[in-house]
Amino acid sequence: MKVVGARLPRYDGVGHVTGRTTYVDDVRVPGMLHAAALRSVHHNARITRLDTGAAAAMAGVHAVVTHADVPLLVYGHLSGAGIPGDEPLLAKDHVRYRGQPIALVAADTVDIARAACAAIEVDYEELPALFDVRLGFDGDAPVINDTFGNWYDQYEGNLDVRQIRKGDIDAAMDAADLIVSGVYRTQSVEQVPLETQVCVAIPEPDGRLTIHTCTQAMYFSLGVVCSHLQLPMSQVKMVGGTVGGGFGGKVDTASDTLTALAAQKSGQPVKWRWTREEEMLASGNRGPWHMEIIDAVTSDGWILGRKMLTIHDAGAYGRFSVYGLTKHSFHHTGAYSIPNLHFDGYVVFTNKIPTTAMRGYGVTGLSTAIEVHAERVAKELGMDPYEFRLKNANRVNDTSPNRIAYEDPSTVEVLQSLAAATGVELGDGLRAMTREQRSGDMLPDHLVAQIGSGGGH
Amino acid sequence: MELTVNSVARTVQSPPLSSLLTVLREELDITSPKAGCESGGCGACTVLVDGQPRRSCLTAVCAVDGAEVTTVEGLGTPEDLSRVQQAFIHHYAAQCGFCTDGLIVAATAYVGGGGSADTGDIGEALAGHYCRCTGYVKILEAVAAVARGDTFDTASTASSANNTYVTIAGAES
Ligand code: FES
Ligand code: FES
Repeated sequence: MKVVGARLPRYDGVGHVTGRTTYVDDVRVPGMLHAAALRSVHHNARITRLDTGAAAAMAGVHAVVTHADVPLLVYGHLSGAGIPGDEPLLAKDHVRYRGQPIALVAADTVDIARAACAAIEVDYEELPALFDVRLGFDGDAPVINDTFGNWYDQYEGNLDVRQIRKGDIDAAMDAADLIVSGVYRTQSVEQVPLETQVCVAIPEPDGRLTIHTCTQAMYFSLGVVCSHLQLPMSQVKMVGGTVGGGFGGKVDTASDTLTALAAQKSGQPVKWRWTREEEMLASGNRGPWHMEIIDAVTSDGWILGRKMLTIHDAGAYGRFSVYGLTKHSFHHTGAYSIPNLHFDGYVVFTNKIPTTAMRGYGVTGLSTAIEVHAERVAKELGMDPYEFRLKNANRVNDTSPNRIAYEDPSTVEVLQSLAAATGVELGDGLRAMTREQRSGDMLPDHLVAQIGSGGGH
Repeated sequence: MELTVNSVARTVQSPPLSSLLTVLREELDITSPKAGCESGGCGACTVLVDGQPRRSCLTAVCAVDGAEVTTVEGLGTPEDLSRVQQAFIHHYAAQCGFCTDGLIVAATAYVGGGGSADTGDIGEALAGHYCRCTGYVKILEAVAAVARGDTFDTASTASSANNTYVTIAGAES
């Protein structure tokens, strides 16, 4: 093979080092207008009046886009998977997080666009806001999400909770020598790509739209734009592929649709580049996760069972959170084989920025919780944490929480590499371990029934 | 106002308090300095003003009237890359590339001023340049290699001698 294993230079390296790579902000189009957004200053408020008259009348303003201009105002990120939409592209009569867009202005300069945003008259009736997921379940908590209530309630089988049940958790708890529980909470994280959200939309003479996009998910974004605009895909040409960092934060199609609407309404090319402040305030981030783990373990270091409760803080709207939680549930044993499971997970809404992907959606905070917990269990057992991890590490044909047999789990080798890289001496027994299917000492009774057969994906 | 930008004399029409970044990007169409934050925090807009790295987003154009401004376009071309540019390719120091222009400008000033190959010194010289992609290690390696006087082959990339791998049984085939 010429490519696998070879160290090849980046195909875009020369462009990157000579200033020749064209990012969206570098696209030059004659007659381009500049856009700015009016965003909510409140975390939770009713909009009782929205008057764009004065802004639209300002010299140099070419379009003011509000909810009334959007052909399909509510379209869900997971509509394609049958999950109802809950988030309006522009707020209509209610804002549910600070920074939520209400209007977009396209003007000759960005300064005029910002001045016009300031001239839009909005009256709010402020409502109590909810920030702590744990309070979302209280009977007197404010209702955050009109479509779903305070937590997503439309899983398969009419459940309001994502559940995994495997084996017999009660038997595992009864058989345990030790029960170790812990609560882990990770905070929200902004992806902070160096390039903020940016879009250039150009109305073409034949009625089509050309959209220069910073999206990480081209065809997904094409679908989102066309759905909101109610256009066939043949009418929209998206140009992308050069992204100034995304890390998951650019899968949400945050700027393309509104810029396209402003271009349609003004009949001119429009650029919308978010400020760094807007990016921090209003772009989808990695949401916080609240995780409670209870492990049933034996004194010789086997994990018999895990009971887990997860509450995912989705922010104000659903976006991809149900997907994130589902992925989280499939991974809630981490890289370890645990045969008896009882998992409950909730997607809970708060008056915060709607959350989205970031580098291992749904799993990164989970890994932190699982590994910190593993360390604690080993400590309480008085066992070498490497030995504890390596015993329980997934082997070929061990099965995941969603009952897929692992074909080529690499946990054993990863742990051995980690030890080698950090100067930890593993004993002969641990060094000799491999990923091969469990047998002998590595196949205690409790793991027999969970062995599957390869070929799962 | 008059500027010499990448050795070409330019007359600037923008208002005097416009940022040098806006003048370069919007009036002169020189797009390598990037608007990462427009508040001095990220370094993506860095250019050389009379040979010194400056954050163009915080520099009012009237304050540099008559100065010589160099952006990464003025340091080398695809056919004739500077050593810093070659090093960034060879050492894989540019990933998305959005921070790269500012870093190459700052690194050029550093090695041009006789900066050492010590990664602590380099880190200090480049402090305040954010890169969200690379984790900085490869950027430090690239600049150190230039300071050491290495030569570069841009048709390949440097291998990292420090990587530790465990051979996985059966994976060789
Ligand atoms: S844009 Fe100038 S420092 Fe970030
Ligand atoms: S290469 Fe992407 S921010 Fe540095």
